[in-house]
Amino acid sequence: MTARIAAPPPAPRGLALLGDSWNRFWFTPADVRPLAVVRMVTAMLALLLWWSYAADVQAWFGPRGVLPVDTVRQWRTPAGFSLYDAATSSIAVAGLFHGTGLVFLLLFAGLGTTVVAPLAAVLWASLLHRGPMLAGPADDCLSVLLWCLAIGPAGWCFSCDQWLGDRAGRPAPGRSLRAAISRGLLQVYGCAITVAALLAQAKGDAWWDGLAAWYLASNPTSGMPRLVPLLERSEYLTNLLTHGITAFEVMFAIGIWFAATQRLVARVAIVAWPLVGLLAGMPLWGVAMAVFALPFAIDFVPSTGMEPVAADR
Amino acid sequence: MGDVTAENAASEAALETDDGRITLYGRFQTRAAVSAACLHQAAMSQSPRQSQPRVSSRVAAEGPPDAVRAAVTSAIVLVLIGLVLSIAGNSDSGSSALVRTVKSRLFSPWLVPAWLDLGFDYRLTYGAAEDAVDSLVVGLHGDRGKPMPLPGERDGERAARWRRLAHAIAADVDDADRDGLLAAAVGRGMFEELDGDDVLVRIVRTPPTDRGAPAPPAAAGYTARVRMAGGEVQLLRQEARGEVAPLVRRPVDAGASPPREAP
Repeated sequence: MTARIAAPPPAPRGLALLGDSWNRFWFTPADVRPLAVVRMVTAMLALLLWWSYAADVQAWFGPRGVLPVDTVRQWRTPAGFSLYDAATSSIAVAGLFHGTGLVFLLLFAGLGTTVVAPLAAVLWASLLHRGPMLAGPADDCLSVLLWCLAIGPAGWCFSCDQWLGDRAGRPAPGRSLRAAISRGLLQVYGCAITVAALLAQAKGDAWWDGLAAWYLASNPTSGMPRLVPLLERSEYLTNLLTHGITAFEVMFAIGIWFAATQRLVARVAIVAWPLVGLLAGMPLWGVAMAVFALPFAIDFVPSTGMEPVAADR
Repeated sequence: MGDVTAENAASEAALETDDGRITLYGRFQTRAAVSAACLHQAAMSQSPRQSQPRVSSRVAAEGPPDAVRAAVTSAIVLVLIGLVLSIAGNSDSGSSALVRTVKSRLFSPWLVPAWLDLGFDYRLTYGAAEDAVDSLVVGLHGDRGKPMPLPGERDGERAARWRRLAHAIAADVDDADRDGLLAAAVGRGMFEELDGDDVLVRIVRTPPTDRGAPAPPAAAGYTARVRMAGGEVQLLRQEARGEVAPLVRRPVDAGASPPREAP
């Protein structure tokens, strides 16, 4: 063994420290497998949300639908753009809509993911712009998730692409810089959405006087109507649940950034977000929020092919 | 594992791992210290990101070329600024002229088409009137036949979309550019379905129930008559009775006592 003794480098300060942290966060190649899991769950969520349009797509967007293109163009933000605007016949609307579903299926299977992932994001944004007044929180989060997947190599693992690659004798996928960027964006967006929700909640008295959980559970759209008699009996329980939701959101927004707490927080979030969504009558939004935590909750055993991939460099 | 030799026996060792090579800094020591460093590196490789060893900027410099990194950094910074401006500019509390201008000129042109110009202000509930559940009811004007059954009162995401449409129709009243736009389109779209050209578009609101209080009844939140007149769609909004000032005052009877002033 030969010696290589170096003087300790000076500890980075100020901007150098910031630059170092930035590089470490965004440019350290990351395992591609968690992103592949995010891809599959996101695609399933996308299929569910897409399916919620299926029964009414002609009633809304068809040539004789209640949301004509001209009306929607006047209603939505001027920069809004939808491929559906060009679909003026029932067949064109149906074709585009079912094409979107097919793209989500391909995304789930991981076939042609390099093309399919960005296409899924574009088609989903198009569908939402065709009827912006119909879109809800789960749709927003799905849009963010799809764009994050479009950046990263989401199809390198657990996919038909990998299977085809194995057959062609391509090397096993490993770590990737694009996966790190994608993962970083998921982390930033997951935190930002939570902070924005917290800020919005802080403006309402119900979140301070501890009654928000009651209003959520007693709402006819809530998925937890059985909680109502319990909450009616105990104000403390109502307060506890309300403050518990707030505390969880604070914990998620902060804890996701520290290595010591990240995994625990992410695992709690995978259970807690869907429960909050169910209580609020927005279960798919809860699932979408849980997907942001997914890459930080999964603990994959490192495989032999965990080296940076040349294509990334 | 790279080649490592202990040259002198000293006290403390600092280590840094990169590219499978170990460098021991400072006055480092014995084979034991070297072994510990090797074990540490092996442990690090078991946990890909969580417990990543400190990676020096030199390591990062060996990643993508500087030009690529600069371009990616610029793109990420743009996305992050866009995210902050979206949250700041789409709040219910309004936004400053500066934020609005910067966002609309520089960021909205690419954030909006991607459906990323979002405020994410998911308050879930305030327990206030604005959190009422809105249902859309459309029927022929003048109590002719039953209203069209729309799925707004059911469960699930499909019903939630109809409720959002109903909410948008009711909320557009406060927006001069959008007022009546959706109501007219919905009414017009229902002509064929209801087999008539004079329909009533109603939004029924179910306000939130206060704890310990009986559930308040659902009430009409918005009503508009949409009809075809002279080949054009006409929208006649019907105000709730309580909100309309009387046009004709009832004459006071000669023998009746004059109205009293409130104390």
